[in-house]
Amino acid sequence: MGKIERSQKLFLSALKEKFEGQDQEAVKTTFYNFGGLKQSPRKREFMKAAKGIEMERGISMYDPEHCHLGGLPMGQRQLMTYEVSQSGVFVEGDDLHFVNNAAMQQFWDDIRRTVVVGMDLAHATLQKRLGKEVTPETINEYLHILNHAMPGAAVVQEHMVETHPGLVDDCYVKVFTGDDAMADDIEPQFLINIEKLFPAEQAEVLKKEVGKSIYQAIHIPTIVSRTCDGGTTSRWSAMQIGMSFIAAYRMCAGEAAVADLSYAAKHAGVSQMASILPARRARGPNEPGGIKFGVFSDIVQANRKYPNDPARASLEVVGAGTMLFDQIWLGSYMSGGVGFTQYATAAYTDNILDEYTYYGMDYLKDKYGYDFKNPNPDTIVAPTQDVVNDLATEVNLNAMEQYEQYPTMMEDHFGGSQRAGVMAAACGLTCSIGTGNSNAGLNGWYLSMLMHKEGWSRLGFFGYDLQDQCGSANSLSMEPDRGLMGELRGPNYPNYAMNVGHQGEYAAIVGGAHYGRNDAFCFDPLIKVTFADPSLSFDFAEPRREFAKGAIREFKPAGERSLIIPAR
Amino acid sequence: MAYKPQYGPGTSTVAENRRRQMNPDIELEKVREVTDEDVVLVLGHRAPGSAYPTAHPPLAEQQEPECPIRKIVEATEGAKAGDRVRYVQFVDSMYNGPSQPYQRTYTECYRFRGIDPGTLSGRQIVECRERDLEAYSKWLIETEMFDPALTSIRGATVHGHSLRLAEDGLMFDMLQRCILGEDGVVRYVKDQIGEPLDREVLVGKPQDDAWSKGKSTIFHSLVGESYRDDEEYIEYIVRVHTLRTKYGFMPTEE
Repeated sequence: MGKIERSQKLFLSALKEKFEGQDQEAVKTTFYNFGGLKQSPRKREFMKAAKGIEMERGISMYDPEHCHLGGLPMGQRQLMTYEVSQSGVFVEGDDLHFVNNAAMQQFWDDIRRTVVVGMDLAHATLQKRLGKEVTPETINEYLHILNHAMPGAAVVQEHMVETHPGLVDDCYVKVFTGDDAMADDIEPQFLINIEKLFPAEQAEVLKKEVGKSIYQAIHIPTIVSRTCDGGTTSRWSAMQIGMSFIAAYRMCAGEAAVADLSYAAKHAGVSQMASILPARRARGPNEPGGIKFGVFSDIVQANRKYPNDPARASLEVVGAGTMLFDQIWLGSYMSGGVGFTQYATAAYTDNILDEYTYYGMDYLKDKYGYDFKNPNPDTIVAPTQDVVNDLATEVNLNAMEQYEQYPTMMEDHFGGSQRAGVMAAACGLTCSIGTGNSNAGLNGWYLSMLMHKEGWSRLGFFGYDLQDQCGSANSLSMEPDRGLMGELRGPNYPNYAMNVGHQGEYAAIVGGAHYGRNDAFCFDPLIKVTFADPSLSFDFAEPRREFAKGAIREFKPAGERSLIIPAR
Repeated sequence: MAYKPQYGPGTSTVAENRRRQMNPDIELEKVREVTDEDVVLVLGHRAPGSAYPTAHPPLAEQQEPECPIRKIVEATEGAKAGDRVRYVQFVDSMYNGPSQPYQRTYTECYRFRGIDPGTLSGRQIVECRERDLEAYSKWLIETEMFDPALTSIRGATVHGHSLRLAEDGLMFDMLQRCILGEDGVVRYVKDQIGEPLDREVLVGKPQDDAWSKGKSTIFHSLVGESYRDDEEYIEYIVRVHTLRTKYGFMPTEE
């Protein structure tokens, strides 16, 4: 270890905006004179809205000046705004609650309503069993029918009810293949064009992985997956696929061959975004707890857009991951709480984690010669214990010192869990990006936790006592039930299943190992290609920017019901 | 060879202070005095002078089962009397508060009996039988474990440990359970849960900066000692992490 000079402090502009006119390095300030809740425009808006609702429904509601601590409302200190990192957009904390943010909802909606289904099995059935001819023309015709049927329209039977296209306009199916000639024959409206969407090197690798097979990237209507659940997605999709094959290839609706098509669409040819969870978690496939970290890092597309900045790409995964896993999965699905918002936002606001991570990048370059702006498998550092120890020690000490040197930043991250997650993430990302090894990154995370705890004699909430104080022992282990390569771990991995402030960062550490090598994908090339689709409601290359748009109410979500309800 | 606790590594003053607090053979300096009634008021669990509510009859009145452990471990006074379990919770400022959450837990484990501590980032709670709790709380307030400005007794609404200090040097407390009087003495006007007290409880004047820095058990590069400079401490942590990592492979002797 050895401190390096880094004059740029990415967090300073946010701090100056948040604590305007104050000395960022002073230890003392004034409190109790901010006017309580009324200092916040958003809280004032909430109070005004609640008054109207109470008048209308005759039942009391949001009343913070009475209900909070027996009449002592929040706001005895400054209620801060937050800059969504690297977006330049300042928002109120409330705007980052997933209930108040349509982009956050859409991020999860777009994952939950997606499955990938291969076409090869179906084509083999059609050709070999039924003697049907499958050509680019028939495939295009099938896709035309499928894009009619998938949103909820009839293709075979007479006198059927159907869904209003305006309610399901986010539902569609595209295909992709690694075969250039085949791709040329697919109508552009139905094609996810790997060649055009990915940097050349990544495109070549992905095309090779996909090969001559054709895959359907299917997105069922948001409104359906919301009304039902993630387990519905493959079922809904398979039903419409089966009906569309029947229509496109003039099959008998009752013949046994249809069962082969159904089996392929429901099971044999399907990639779910998330695996089913054990009974005590009580969730089907395509729910957040089953998303492997390697898959999540493929869903997020920042490395496609920023191939020469693995730190940026990883930080986008942090933002997306903490939002999904902390705010939605643990914050509401699992705990039943109203969302662990402020655990999560610490990792993607005010450029604090960004600064710590880029310090790690500078340190990698300064001490090990690894240039993160030119990620390459040939230049990564060997993942030895000494290297991990050195990287994590230096990045962690720097982060602690920055918090100490800028008391307003310490006040920004007022909770130990916030600081613990952010510092450990910077350490883990530095280790994984620099070594190209996800488990080395996880190991760096745990050294950070131990060092943090001993230095400040505190860490996070109780949960950190378990996960982070025994994590060293399982981070490099491959023993069954106590170890696994990072890519295959997930939110339901034994020690990871209960603790906010971790899972999104772990996903990013896993992703970073591949972004640091400039890999085209982390775990599943099919999922990488699927979420590159520009027709999706949410831009997966820029999750933090999208969340910022949601916060300032500029994000346009899918699945709205305004067509069928009275105007408000 | 008899086990001799080392309490912790490090060459810094912070490390030495940590060892001092933990080591039960060292008598910590008594800095202030509070009465038994003061402690009862701040804790807020029972009215001063009232009997201790009980969870079970006194052990002496019970038919104790035949149990070798009960013969080895003598019950605390609170357990003997059948007291209920109650708590005290402290918040420690990161700006040189004399004790800190894990430090408190370690110290209490070495010095107290019959306790159940819980350690978080912004607060540390310890639960035990009520009369034991009152005795322990008195010690925690009267000794160098406590600074009226940088240590605070709070049952709920605890934010403050990481915030800048107020102009008068006190750690932020949304409920302002304690205030600095014009005489320079800090007084509790609310109990730890925030209920107003019938009378003020005086806990003395804040310690000066030199005392706080000299007694601190937290590393802090701006207002105290830098963690980085205690190389022995860093080396110890890296060693622990490395050994734990290797253990994860379940190594066996060839």
